[in-house]
Amino acid sequence: MSETAMLEVKNLTKHFKAGRGQVVHAVDNVSFVLKKGKTLGLVGESGCGKSSCARTVIRIYEPTEGTILLDGQDISHMKQRELKPLRRKMQMIFQDPYASLNARMTVRDIIAEPLLAHGVVKKKDQANELVYPMLERVGLTKEHANRYAHEFSGGQRQRVGIARALILQPELVICDEPISALDVSIQAQVINLLRDFQEEKGVSYLFIAHDLSMVRYVSDDVGVMYLGQLVEVCESGEIYKNPLHPYTKGLLGSIPIANPRLAREKEKSSIEGDIPSPIAPPSGCRFHTRCPFARPECGERAPVLKDVGGGHMVACHLYG
Amino acid sequence: MDNKWEMLPSSSEDREKIWTKNRTFAGDVWFRFRRKPTAIAGFVLIVLLLLFALAGPLFTDYSYSVQNLEVVNIPPVMKVFDAPDGNGSLYITQGLKVLYVNPDGTLGDQLKKVREDSEMSMTIYDYNGAEVGLYYGQKPYVIADPATKVIYPSSTVRNASYLLGTDSLGRDILTRLMYGIRVSLLVAFIAAAVNMVIGVLYGGISGYLGGNVDTVLMRVVDIINTIPLTLYVILIVVLLGSGLQSIIVALGSVYWVDMARVVRGQVLSLKQQEFVLAAKTIGSSTKTILFQHLIPNAMGSILVTVTMLIPSAIFMEAFLSFLGIGLQPPLASLGTMCNDATANLRTCPYQMFIPALGICLIMFAFNFVGDGLRDALDPKLKK
Repeated sequence: MSETAMLEVKNLTKHFKAGRGQVVHAVDNVSFVLKKGKTLGLVGESGCGKSSCARTVIRIYEPTEGTILLDGQDISHMKQRELKPLRRKMQMIFQDPYASLNARMTVRDIIAEPLLAHGVVKKKDQANELVYPMLERVGLTKEHANRYAHEFSGGQRQRVGIARALILQPELVICDEPISALDVSIQAQVINLLRDFQEEKGVSYLFIAHDLSMVRYVSDDVGVMYLGQLVEVCESGEIYKNPLHPYTKGLLGSIPIANPRLAREKEKSSIEGDIPSPIAPPSGCRFHTRCPFARPECGERAPVLKDVGGGHMVACHLYG
Repeated sequence: MDNKWEMLPSSSEDREKIWTKNRTFAGDVWFRFRRKPTAIAGFVLIVLLLLFALAGPLFTDYSYSVQNLEVVNIPPVMKVFDAPDGNGSLYITQGLKVLYVNPDGTLGDQLKKVREDSEMSMTIYDYNGAEVGLYYGQKPYVIADPATKVIYPSSTVRNASYLLGTDSLGRDILTRLMYGIRVSLLVAFIAAAVNMVIGVLYGGISGYLGGNVDTVLMRVVDIINTIPLTLYVILIVVLLGSGLQSIIVALGSVYWVDMARVVRGQVLSLKQQEFVLAAKTIGSSTKTILFQHLIPNAMGSILVTVTMLIPSAIFMEAFLSFLGIGLQPPLASLGTMCNDATANLRTCPYQMFIPALGICLIMFAFNFVGDGLRDALDPKLKK
């Protein structure tokens, strides 16, 4: 492939100790490649390990196994001190705009924090030259700089979070469900802002969401996660036209359709039951307990992610 | 504008504008704090007590330590007898002496004793050449004319020389009260400051590092906490000798455990919040995370804990001084004043009542302020 990889994750595994010797298999053997200037969407139900995956990639969590290559550099086992200069390259936008901004800081201080942390500016008052244009870039004004985060609306807060993530001009931004806490009317505003930045600066996004309809709009590639594992990865148009994995089909079936006539014709393929516990994941294919097409071998042997043509990767015995 | 429902022209600036007033966090807290009358009352009381204790000694003619045995145990309101010439009055001291009281209530000289008349149970004193008799035959003692045996008319007069009276060594209680409250507030603020520094750092580090460090640090706190506090403070006072500095050392070295616990709990919960994770992904240093993110957000509970801890430190100082292992005479503290007053509790209850009232007022004031602060800092009560 001609494009170089911004982020390459190989066999990433993250287990959490849950006490009494139990282990939560939050992320298991996940591999993907995010190309420069592109967006990779990660989707899945709540608790499927999307956020853990993102937080491990950005090294808030220590990976249990696997490698993370940021721009060709292995960061999976770097010490925090070695990692610090690389943090300029990757930033994160958080899910909850209410919890991700410190309520005791003004917006100016919040946006200036990365600049101070990396010594771009030495003092707070020097940061204004960079902070004000950034504020205007995300649709806020100078007057907002002295306000505290709690005075803003959700959409405004999320834009402040975006300004904070982008002020260092990172090459990779991990968006951990950046729009799921926002009103639908605000979601488009934030998404468009992210897209504009991508066009201008060539930022790569790892975009995490549980909502497939929004992911279609932003992503170049989409990965579907189930219970800590990637079950299907392909180009984003393809996954909507031709979903292969039964879980992906189920997820797509759960998107509400505005037109009632079309909705009636839609194939009924919702997924029954609840997601199993990640402490004791099912044997074999993790989805076999809920899969409508499950066969005996699904419970015995775990399928591997393999290319079924045209870069469309799926982990399912149906396509073996 | 006839049509009220007509759309106003909207610019994008209006859409993003924040219409509320720009209020800092402190301003917000003050706004909620001042709506609570008890909190404001406590706050005003603390300010008044501070003024009284710090500026008061500038306006008094007496020292807290100089004794004047001529004016022992004089109450704030005296029962006096009219002088024979009708100018001023006479007061019988507890030592069966007669004091001249000026018409404005200030104390004058002691009258000279002329002779003892044991037949009449009278001591005869000389008042400007005239003889007055102090009759001690039966209680209450009175002053009478020895010749006619007529009791002079009596009345009550406010003590203008010693507004709150004198103690058993003839020292002005008002002056001693000023110094006593000074000591109490000093102990309070030093205890608070020491607790803030040690407790916040200890709890902050324990909560932030977590894991084994946290376990060890918290077991140390548990051990300190299991020792009865009073006993521990007494032991330290015994070891270092009594005095203000050992009380401060004693209070400072143990009272921070509550603070450490509160801060640790806060930090433990705060460090999981997204804004702290965000600071980590930004690459901020531990120092920045601790002092700009964690501690300012825990400040609410820290302030409440401090204001709640101040009254207990004050009480502990008063208690130790009352037991006689705190401040040493002639230094005045509310506790030593109470202790001095126990000997004369029946005859001079005011000597006990005044410093006790002082302790009560200080404790009430700090408790009210603490209460008000807790409500003002609680974001759930935000309006």
